[in-house]
Order: sequence, then C-alpha cells, then structure tokens
Amino acid sequence: MSEPVLRTENLTKRFGGLIAVNNLNLSIPSGRLHAIIGPNGAGKTTFFNLVSGLLAADSGRVFFKGRDITGLKPHEVSRLGIKRTMQIKSVFPQLTVAENLWVTRHATNQTLHPFRSAARDPETRERVELTLEQIGLRALAHRSAGTLSYGDIALLEMGMALISDPQLLLLDEPTCGMSPAETERAVEKIKQLTRKIDIVIIEHDMSVVFEIAEDITVMTQGEILASGSPDEISGDERVREAYLGRPEDEDYVEEVAHA
Amino acid sequence: MITPHIISRAMLIAFVAFLIAAPWLIPAILNGFWVSVIAEIMIWSLFAASVNLLFGYVGLLSFGQALYFGFGMYGVAIGIATLGLSFWPAFGLGVFAAVAIALLSGIFAVRLTWHYFAIITVVFSLIFYFLAVSVKPLTGGDDGINFTLPPVFSIGDVTGSFSDANFQYFFILATVSLCFFLMHRVIQSPLGKALVAIRDNDVRAALIGLNVYQLRLIAFVMAGFLAGVSGALFAFFGRYASASYMFYHVSGEAVVWAIVGGVGTLFGPIVGTTLFIVIRELVSTHWEHHALIVGVMAILVVILAPKGLVGLWNEGLVRWCARAEATSARTDLQTEP
Repeated sequence: MSEPVLRTENLTKRFGGLIAVNNLNLSIPSGRLHAIIGPNGAGKTTFFNLVSGLLAADSGRVFFKGRDITGLKPHEVSRLGIKRTMQIKSVFPQLTVAENLWVTRHATNQTLHPFRSAARDPETRERVELTLEQIGLRALAHRSAGTLSYGDIALLEMGMALISDPQLLLLDEPTCGMSPAETERAVEKIKQLTRKIDIVIIEHDMSVVFEIAEDITVMTQGEILASGSPDEISGDERVREAYLGRPEDEDYVEEVAHA
Repeated sequence: MITPHIISRAMLIAFVAFLIAAPWLIPAILNGFWVSVIAEIMIWSLFAASVNLLFGYVGLLSFGQALYFGFGMYGVAIGIATLGLSFWPAFGLGVFAAVAIALLSGIFAVRLTWHYFAIITVVFSLIFYFLAVSVKPLTGGDDGINFTLPPVFSIGDVTGSFSDANFQYFFILATVSLCFFLMHRVIQSPLGKALVAIRDNDVRAALIGLNVYQLRLIAFVMAGFLAGVSGALFAFFGRYASASYMFYHVSGEAVVWAIVGGVGTLFGPIVGTTLFIVIRELVSTHWEHHALIVGVMAILVVILAPKGLVGLWNEGLVRWCARAEATSARTDLQTEP
C-alpha cells in the first residue's frame, strides 16, 4: 500500500478542560476524496488547524506523505504544498480579486523581490488570468475582495487554493453560505480537482458530501466515530445517533425529518 | 479622456516643479525663511513616511519611530563631533545606527501586534531616551551635541556645503525624493503586495505561505531606515543632535501627521506634515496653544475621513471623473441625430 497523504498518530489538542481532538489516529490515502463530517464541536476544524500549523498539538504527530510536519509554522506547512480554505471565508479584503490571486501565487514559489514592479510579471499574470477563468470571476477581477458577495469570496478562496498548485487541499465547509447554484458550481469544481489533487473536505451539507466523497470519516467529541464508504456511513446506526440524537429525542428527529 | 491617474500624475509633476523652483520662487513671493520651512517639512515628511510604511502598509502602529530618528541624528553628531568623521561617513554611521537598532528592537517588537506592538515600541524608545539623557558625556543629554558641518564634497575649487542654503535645500530634496521613490518601488513590488496582504489578514497570509514574522521584521527595518535617514538629515540641517528628539512625543506627532494625511497612501505623510508644520509656523508666533488646532483637526479627520486627506481627495477624484464621463456620454447621446 502506498504512503497515505495525511496521517496522524495519537493527535491531541486540549483547550483548558475541553479535549477538542482526542488521541486521533487518522490515515487518509492518496487519490481519494475524503470527507470529514460530524456535529458542531466535533473537532473537525481543530484538526485542520493542527495540520496547517495554526494550532500546536499538545501531543501526537502529523505526517504528510510520510514526512513529519508536527510543529511546523503555517507558512512552512503551506510551502510544502498543503493549502486550506477557512470555514469563515478569509481573503485579503482591500486587495482586488486579481491581486489576491497574484499575491498567493507569489507567496509560494518566488522570493519576494523588493524593487521590481509587481505588475510586470508575465508568468504570474497569465496564471492569474487562467485562474480567474476557472473560478468564473473574470468580470470582478479589479473589484476589492471586501466588496464581493459571500459566494464569490468562497470562489475566490478556491481560486487562491488552486493558483498555489497544492498537493493537498483542506477545504473547510467550502459551500457554506453559498446559493444552490453556487454550490453546484463549487461541487463541480471540487470533482474536477480531485483527479489531480488530494482533497480533504469538512462539510455539513450531506447532499454535497454524499455526492463527492469517496471515503467519509465521522468525528464526534474529538474522536473518530466511524470511517468508511458513503454507503457504510449512511447505514451506520451510531452515526445516525450522533447526528440525529437518540430515538427518545422525538421532537428533534421530527424537526429534522421536516427540515 | 481625463482619468484620476492622469490628474494625479499632473499634480505630482507640478508639485516636483514647485519644489525645484521654491528656493527662487518663495523668497520672491514671501520670504526666504519659508524655504527652510519647506526643507524641514521634507525631512519630517520622510519621518512620517516611516510611520506610514508600518501602519499603512503592514498594519503595525509604532509610537516609537523617534528612536530611529534619534539614532540617525546621534550617529551623525557623534560621528562628526566625537569621531571627527567627514560628511558621508557620518551620514552612513547615522543611517547604519538607526537600521541596526531597528533590527535589534524589531526582533522583539514584531512578535506582537496592535496595542501590544504600540506599547513595546513606546517602551523601547523611552528606554533609549532616558539612556541618552543620562549618558551625558556621549550624548550631551538634554543640551545635545553641537557640531560644525564638514563639506559634503570638495572637488578642486568646487565645494558643496550645507552653509550654502540652496545646496542644503537641494541635498535634502534629492535625498527625500530618493527615499520616497524607493518606498514607491517597494510598495509596488511583490514584497509590497505581500506586506499589504499581511496588513489585511495575517492568518490568511501565513496560510498562503508568507513568513509573516520575517516580512514584518523587514518592513520594520525599512521603516527604521527611513526614520534614520530623516534623523541624519535633520542633524545636518540643525547642526546638532539632542535626546529630546527621541522622546515618544515626537513619534506621536509623526503618527498624527501620517494619519491625517492618509496612511496607506504614498503622499499622505507629506500632506499631513505640511499641513501641521505650516499651521505651527503661522500660529505659534501669535498663539501658544497651536496644538489645540492640531488636536481638533486630527479628531475631525479621523471621524470624517478615515483614509485621511489624501484618501478623501482620491475618492473625490474618482467620483468626479466618473461623473464627468457620465455627463460627456449623455451629451454624446443627445448630439446624435
């Protein structure tokens, strides 16, 4: 079996008394779109933060393609080719859409020249044009990112992930806040990408998850509850319980059923 | 068609032309005293630009830039008065001292952001202010160091020296212009874009692979360089150095100048500095509380024009041009048969 793209060993993160990620042993094979689902507070985003270096783990290790990346700084992790999007959409609001892409492209693969004009760089410019085309934001290229709609910001974030040529993409609720049409577009995009890049996605929209995921890991309270194919997961009694509550919570089940 | 870009370009050319003509123009209209005020404004504008580079382009509000200004000053004064250096080595010593202390304090300061950063920069500048006041043999304390300026160059019979008022003026103009040009280049460069990205969203900047700490440190040292050059120029200009220029009050003034003029714009610090120094020169002879005017204006600008006077102007310009274009488009329509 080939080296998993992402693997954790006994990964643990506590916030005071709360154990956000508890002794997590996760192995994500390369070449399959992996979804992580679970109720709020399950530790999904914390897990992403630990991988991308925004948080330091209390114990345990993280391996990226067999390389120990535990304790690396965010920019170091990023330069290894692990890119992520944020749950709360996060771009550079006062830069234009094109500049957002531009600076992202430059951040990874070039030393930052202090005096050469940023505008004169045909390679980067072409790549920015291409990415604008891919995410369908060409018409908004010169708008400040801060003035975009939420869905467009999500697309821009996706573009920023793309333009940096990632090897592993961590998508934190990419379709959150999107309109149905935008969601469809984003799902299409993710499906295309997954042929070239390893993707791990956190998603609450179950229709999205079951449409795109090849493997699903369910987390609750910082631990893995179940892991398997979409069919296995949808049939798993414990997962139902974690999501929908126990049968005695009649009201809640009914509410969900009607939602 | 008139675009905001063309108007800005034209204004820049007019402004530079005015600065070049000023040593002859100003004495003809007002009097020669104002030429040296303009020279002083240029020096302080450069100082305000160092605040602007940090606050406007990296999002770090420093209340301690006077420290680097002071090191620039003392580098020159000690270089000339104590070490007997000639002009250029003393200039170099001043700038080097400022950059070195900026690097040293930056290593600690840029670990922090926002008010913590502001506080640590004040603390650093206070430490060195009190050191400078107390180490009297080296710094002259509050009295400062007076010195006689060596010539800038002398080739055969031709000597360039600050004792020639016009030479002094143009030397300052050339140096400040060069620094502003360098800053402009940096802002437009990949490095500059990365700095703005960090200002906008430092978490995101780290996630796209920017080394936030390192880039902030680079910006901090660059700002130290600008402050150091302005301090060195001010030492030449006044022929002395004094610890009082290292007090945080001086840093605070530059912050006000930069914010009122417009942070995040290249020319904001020039506008703000010019405004307040002209007010000071006009009012302070008649009324000792000219700082009141400064305070009221600062408050008004912060509330009414958060992007400063230059930001206000730029917005107005864009709107005006858009309206002019719309009007001309409408006339075009009407004239069609």
